[in-house]
Amino acid sequence: MQFQTFGAATVRLFRFGQGRPLLWLHGFEGHPGDAPFLKRLAETRLVIAPEHPGFGESDGLAAMHDITDQALHFRRIIRALGVRRIDVVGHCLGGMFAAELAAISPHLVRRLVLVNSYGLWDDANPLPDAFSLPPPAFAAAKWAKPETAPAATDDPMTRQRNLGSATKFLWPIPDRGLTRRLPYIEAPTLVLHGTQNGLIPPAYGQRLASLIPNAAFQAIEGAAHMPMIEAPEAFDHALGSFLGAEPEFRGR
Amino acid sequence: MKFHWFAEASYPKLPADFRARKISSWVDTPKALHDPHVVGEMCRMFIRLMQQADRDGFDGLAVNEHHQTPFAVTPSPNLLAAALAHTTQRAAILIIGDSLALYNPPTRVAEEMAWLDCLSGGRVIAGFVFGTPMDSVFAYGIPPAELRDRFEEARQLILKSWAEQEPFAFNGKYTKLRYVNLWPKPIQPKFPIWVPGSGSVETWDLCIENDYCYGHLSFSGLHAAKPLVDAWWEYCDMRGADTNPHRMAFTQLICCANTDAEAERLYTDGVKYFYRNRYTNPAYEAPPGYRSSKSVQAIMGHRKIAESKLSAEDRARAASGEMSFWEYDKHGFIIAGTPERVRQRLREMCTDLRIGQLIACLHQGDLPEEVAVENTRLVGQEVIPGLRDLWAEHEDRWTPAATHLPLAKAAE
Repeated sequence: MQFQTFGAATVRLFRFGQGRPLLWLHGFEGHPGDAPFLKRLAETRLVIAPEHPGFGESDGLAAMHDITDQALHFRRIIRALGVRRIDVVGHCLGGMFAAELAAISPHLVRRLVLVNSYGLWDDANPLPDAFSLPPPAFAAAKWAKPETAPAATDDPMTRQRNLGSATKFLWPIPDRGLTRRLPYIEAPTLVLHGTQNGLIPPAYGQRLASLIPNAAFQAIEGAAHMPMIEAPEAFDHALGSFLGAEPEFRGR
Repeated sequence: MKFHWFAEASYPKLPADFRARKISSWVDTPKALHDPHVVGEMCRMFIRLMQQADRDGFDGLAVNEHHQTPFAVTPSPNLLAAALAHTTQRAAILIIGDSLALYNPPTRVAEEMAWLDCLSGGRVIAGFVFGTPMDSVFAYGIPPAELRDRFEEARQLILKSWAEQEPFAFNGKYTKLRYVNLWPKPIQPKFPIWVPGSGSVETWDLCIENDYCYGHLSFSGLHAAKPLVDAWWEYCDMRGADTNPHRMAFTQLICCANTDAEAERLYTDGVKYFYRNRYTNPAYEAPPGYRSSKSVQAIMGHRKIAESKLSAEDRARAASGEMSFWEYDKHGFIIAGTPERVRQRLREMCTDLRIGQLIACLHQGDLPEEVAVENTRLVGQEVIPGLRDLWAEHEDRWTPAATHLPLAKAAE
C-alpha cells in the first residue's frame, strides 16, 4: 500500500500480484484492505485497489463536487498507471463509480464487472435505507447467512467516516443520473448479483444489465451483498471466465 | 441577564401508549396520530402565550424549526415569527433558527428575516442552524457529507445579501444566482446572530470567529449540559475569544407556582409527557457523517463526564418519563417551585454555567394553557426582575438595539 496524489485527492493505493491490470473499486463500507478475495484475484492479475476520497485514510472528498468529478478521479488513476485499457470491477458504491467511469470514458475500460451495484432507483421497489437499518437488520440484509458471517473488524470511527462519505453519492436516493448514462457504456459487462441481497434486491442488477448495451446478468446463489466472501467459488469462477483468465480456486 | 420565552410546540394529544409502542417521534411518525384541528388550537395557544410573554417582561420570543415530528410542530419558524412580529411590541423575535441548508435558494432566509425585521421594527435575532439529523438529513434529504458545506455557502450568501447595497452575482457550489438584490433590506444594520449547537467543535469555531452567540439547546438535564458548556468556555479561553456571558444561550424547562406542592400538582403530567414522547429511532439521531470524527470524540468525552454524575438507569428513567417530579428537578431537567426557589436556582445555574441568555421553556408537553399562563406571569413578573442584576456589568451585543430601550426605561 502507498499513498498517491491524484489532483486534489491523496489516497491509499493497494497493489497486489502481477499480470494484466485490474482496477477494483470498493463498496460503501470501506476498503477491504488485503482481503482474501483480492489476493485470489492477484494470483493471475495485477490488482490495483484505490481507496475512495473521504474513506479510511484517504482525503479529497471536498473536491468531488459530483459524480462526474468522482468518475474523472478514477480516469486520472488509470492514466497514471500508464495502461491503455483496463478491466474494472466495482462492488456496491464502487460498482456505481465503475459504471460512471465506463460511460464517460468508454475507451479506457476493457471489460466491466458490476457486483451488487448501487446507482439505480425504482419507486415500485424502493431500496432499504442502509444508513438507518439497525445493526442486526443490516447484517441480515448484507449476508445470506448472517450467523456465520465474519465479525466486523473495522474501527467504529472509521466506519462512520466511510459511511458519511458514501452519503455524498448514496443519500437520500442513490440515483445520480446513471440510468441516462448506462447506454454510453461500450465495454462488455457482467452484472453479478447475490440472490439474497437485502440491501439491493436482484431486480436492480437485472435492470442494470438491461440498460447496458452489451451486458449479461448472472445471479450468485447462496450470497447476499458480499458474494466474494459468501460464495467465493462461484464468484471467482464468474469473474475468471468473464475476464478470460480463471484463477485456480484455493478456498477461503 | 436576558430571558426569552420558548416552548417546543409539542402535539398535545398523542395516545397514552405512544412511548410503550416505541414509535419514533420523528421522521416517520404515523400521521394518523394527529388531528389538524388540534394543531390549529395549539398554534393559537402558543401565539397567545408569547403575546403575554411580551407584556410580562420577557426579552425575546423564541421560535424554532423542526420537521416531521409531533415533538415540535413548527416546520417554518418564520411563519410563527410573522404572527408574533405583528402582534407584539417590545420583545425580540428570536428565530433560533432557520436551517440554512434547507432553503433553496438560501436568499429566502435573508428575505424573510429582513421582512420580519421590517414588520417588527428591528426586533429580529437571526438564528442559523444546521438542523437536527432528523430534520436536515432524514426529513429534508441532505447528505451528511454536504450539510456543513451547504450551511457555510448559504451563510456567506445570506450575509452578503444583507450587506451589499448593489445587485451582485453569486456563483456557489450549490446556489447560482445572477442577480441578488434584497427587497426589503433589514432595519438593523447588522443582525445579532445566534447559532445553536450540540458540542461540535466546528460550530464553536464558527461562533468565535464571527462573534455569534452560541446556544446549547438541550433538554437532557444539567449533568449532560454542564461538561459541554464548561468545555465551550474553556475553548473560548483557549482561543482568546470574548467570554461575555451574553454570547451564550441555554434552554431550561421551568415550572413555577405559588407553592412547591402546587408546582408538582400542576406540572408533573406535562413534564412526563414531554420526556416520555421524545423517543426517536436512534439511527435517525446519529447518521454517519453528521459530525466530524473530531467532534464525535470530543462529545464522547463530555458524555463520559455526564455519565459519572447520572447513571445510565437514571438517564433511561428520565427519558421515558419515569422519574418523579422532584427527581427531574434535582438533576436539573426542570427547575420547579415557588418564584423564590426558581429565582435562586436560576441564579446558581446561570452563574455556574456563565449564561447570559436564558431560553426559558415555560410550556411542556400537554400542559394546559392556564398553567402556562400562570407560569409566564410568575416568571415574568416575580422571577426575572430579581435576576436583572446578573451579568449587568457586561454589554449585550447579541440582542437587537430596539429591544434594549424600553428595558432601560423599565429599570429606571
